[in-house]
Amino acid sequence: MTGVILRRLLQLPIIVGAVFLITLALAWGIPGNPLENPEGRRPPPEIAQAMKAQYNMDSFWSFATSYVDRATGTRWLRARLSGEHSRRDADALAAGLAPPVHYVFDLGPSLQYRDRNVNEIIGSALPVSATLGLAAILIALVIGLAAGVVGAIRPNSPADVATLTLALIGISTPTFVAGTLLLLLFSVLIPIFPVASWGSPRDIILPAITLSLPFAAYIARLSRVGMIEALSSDYIRTARAKGLPERTVILKHALKNAFLPVLSYLGPATALAMTGSFVVERIFTVPGLGQHFVSAVQNKDLFLIMGIVVVFSTMLILFNLAVDVLYRWVDPRIT
Amino acid sequence: MLRVLVPILLLIVALALTLAGDRPTPRADFTFINRGEVNTLDLQRMSWMQDLRVGRLLFEGLVQQDVFDPDYAIIPAAAESWSVSEDGLVYTFHLRDNLKWSNGKPLRASDFLFAWRRLLLPDTGGDYIRQLQLIRGAEAFTNWRLDALARAAEGKSPTGSELWTDTLAKFDELVHARAPDDRTLIVTLEHPAPYFLDLLAMPPFFPVYPPLVSQYERVDPITGRLIIESGWTKPGHIVTNGPFLLKIWRFKRDMRLEANPLHRLYDSLAIRTIAIPTVDDANAMVLAYRSGAADWVTDVVAPYRGDMYQQKLAFIREHQAEYDALKSQGLDEIEIARRLPDDPRNHLHVLPVFGTYFYNFNCSPRLTDGRPNPLADARVRRALAMMIDKRAIAEGVRRVGEPVARTLIPPDSLAGYTAPAGLHCISDMHTQADRDSLIAQARSLLAEAGFPDPSKMPAISILFNKDGGHDLIGQSIASDWQRHLGIPVNLDQKELKIFREDLKNKNYMVSRAGWYGDYGDATTFLDINRIGDENNDRNYQNPAYDDLLRRASLEPDPHARLDLLQKAEAMLVEVELPFVPLFHYCNIFLFNAHKISGINAHPRQTQNVHLIDILGDGKGPDTPRSTPPRRNGDAK
Repeated sequence: MTGVILRRLLQLPIIVGAVFLITLALAWGIPGNPLENPEGRRPPPEIAQAMKAQYNMDSFWSFATSYVDRATGTRWLRARLSGEHSRRDADALAAGLAPPVHYVFDLGPSLQYRDRNVNEIIGSALPVSATLGLAAILIALVIGLAAGVVGAIRPNSPADVATLTLALIGISTPTFVAGTLLLLLFSVLIPIFPVASWGSPRDIILPAITLSLPFAAYIARLSRVGMIEALSSDYIRTARAKGLPERTVILKHALKNAFLPVLSYLGPATALAMTGSFVVERIFTVPGLGQHFVSAVQNKDLFLIMGIVVVFSTMLILFNLAVDVLYRWVDPRIT
Repeated sequence: MLRVLVPILLLIVALALTLAGDRPTPRADFTFINRGEVNTLDLQRMSWMQDLRVGRLLFEGLVQQDVFDPDYAIIPAAAESWSVSEDGLVYTFHLRDNLKWSNGKPLRASDFLFAWRRLLLPDTGGDYIRQLQLIRGAEAFTNWRLDALARAAEGKSPTGSELWTDTLAKFDELVHARAPDDRTLIVTLEHPAPYFLDLLAMPPFFPVYPPLVSQYERVDPITGRLIIESGWTKPGHIVTNGPFLLKIWRFKRDMRLEANPLHRLYDSLAIRTIAIPTVDDANAMVLAYRSGAADWVTDVVAPYRGDMYQQKLAFIREHQAEYDALKSQGLDEIEIARRLPDDPRNHLHVLPVFGTYFYNFNCSPRLTDGRPNPLADARVRRALAMMIDKRAIAEGVRRVGEPVARTLIPPDSLAGYTAPAGLHCISDMHTQADRDSLIAQARSLLAEAGFPDPSKMPAISILFNKDGGHDLIGQSIASDWQRHLGIPVNLDQKELKIFREDLKNKNYMVSRAGWYGDYGDATTFLDINRIGDENNDRNYQNPAYDDLLRRASLEPDPHARLDLLQKAEAMLVEVELPFVPLFHYCNIFLFNAHKISGINAHPRQTQNVHLIDILGDGKGPDTPRSTPPRRNGDAK
């Protein structure tokens, strides 16, 4: 087991590096100049050129190398060793100002929001998306497992057909419809939840439910199939034969195996939910990561695109690893 | 079973941990939804409308506009007085006594020079660099720096830090802006410009705190370039001089401002805290207003805003007699809404702004693919312009009460400037006979230009960006041209960034366009049609036009100057038509005028949020402000 984990961790930088290069090549090809205000006046061409140089965007290689230099912490190390950091901190303190922030793994400035560092953007948005994503996955698990088990106990019964239909609706309803509907119902018509607000636990409920619907539906279907298969297997027949109550048979013996397909789905699903949903974040004004990614691509905000891609791919790899570990632990048959 | 529960328990613990971190902030005195997330608070690099609006709250320039004056008169801000030399070239500003930065340090006249030098450095990349080059020697300084950087790149120059020392010396040598003492600033212009003070009321020309900003600027030892780092504009770091202080700024989430106790207006402010939540979703903005979470939505873009406007019109019709009476007194739209009953439909305010939606004609002799360009002939452009049903676009497509445009500059937006009459279009003709004669006129113009049979003309393609309803306008115009002239038309829809690139490279025939004026002078609109101007997307090159603008810039008499500018605009919109104006933009606000005062209805649409007063809350004067009708007589 430790060997597997170690091997996977060693693979991580290689995979992330490959993802980085491919994404950068694609993002570089997006037409347009991210340093220009698309609704505003155009600066003189020589000024536009000076701006590009400011962000090392005059050539692909100067951009890529300076990015790697910053992101890997090499630049930080150089500035630290040369005493540049301490000099600047001392200057700031001497002028009575707060010392500047020095990021170790500096993911660079956002090109659209030039006052922001990508570290800072991801640092503030990722916890928000993660909270929302975790809440959504939890809701999805509760709803999905319950629906799946209820359906599987009596396949093709009215309860089963009802949960299957609901699951189908859950998968096929776009989140912008479900979200807007919930917002209209519970924030405007019956004002229980606030509109356009984030910060208190109350604010998380509607977006989490909206986000959970497709996941819940998928989990319901997975657990239903797993449960039906488990319930028809020999060891369940044995359990019933030795007179265990049906409750114990289903919850203790069958569910454990029926949960395995859900568990393997949970890894990528959690990573997906935690890195944010553009639509849900927009409708409920959630300051999460999903909207940044979409707008970063639209704005050709190179640093932000790269930062999010690097963080997202790292998370995806780690979550899959975590699920594999859990899997082995839940089901000792797998080695 | 336990093993199955563990992953779920882990999720719950993680959720509880992340939830524990966030605390909501108490409600502010005034909450408004800006046009979008603020891009930057670095004054010299600002250009977005939402940034400028916050910039005016946090910082203060030499002068400001009285936004409740019908002429947007210039009033003192950091400067308590100023004088202008007889020839209109030398401005002497006297700063107020005891001006302070938010950290308590004194604000000096040289702080303005520091900010202006920043803007003039090409390294900063400020969008408003051209406007500041009105100062004598400023353009020469920028060009010197560009040359020096180019030499450094070739390795023919001293070290980076030596180059920087030279740059500082060059600024003092070349640029005619001096601070003889801490409270005096003397500026000499390249040519007389009555709008110079109005320019100085824009945030890019406001001061920044030099000890702070220079912390974030490093000179690259090899290239000599100034490397500008982000970070100084954050709460806890930023030092400002405006009526409000930046307390919270969470990315794409919210901003919170509090009154600045060191500012002279501190005691007279009617609001102490301002919250600016970021709401990007068009529908959520309206819902936030309806649920009471926001007091003012500054840009209603919901797809159903046309219907909201129709409801407002229905409301006005219910009170038509009262509305007409108030209108005849010369009251502004906000004040009229305030005097009509409080009704949710009456919370929508459609106000003309300082901007125009128009269609560009590419005037290059040849298109980018080498074909000859039929639009290079002004007669073709004029014929096409006459055939556009502008009213169908304003009333049928946009549906938010925007007035049909015949000129580039919105009428009545500038004191003393009389708009030219412009060209008639097909929707100005009220009888079929008039329409037929206009069509015949357009056809004969095309025939003169060498297209006796317009259906044999090369197809005209209309370029626009997707979203924003530009496709509907394109379709409307295409059908006008096809129906009345029989010209084949293609519609070419592109992504915004690609659209912008195509315009820049003149890779189009006809395109949608828009322009907002920056300062109170006709040149803010007219300059974009000069030869070589980087915003001349039309590639319009007319020395006679440039000569009119040049003569205006040298004209010391303000009336004669405005006459020359009016001639120049008339040349564009009546004869040459490098573009065809379609409608003047309106801004759609959502706020209750019975509750809120301080938002002005002037067509220049600069909003100074520190003037906001919540009526009836016992704080501030609690008497509504409005714009009186323009005085008889003209230019200041």
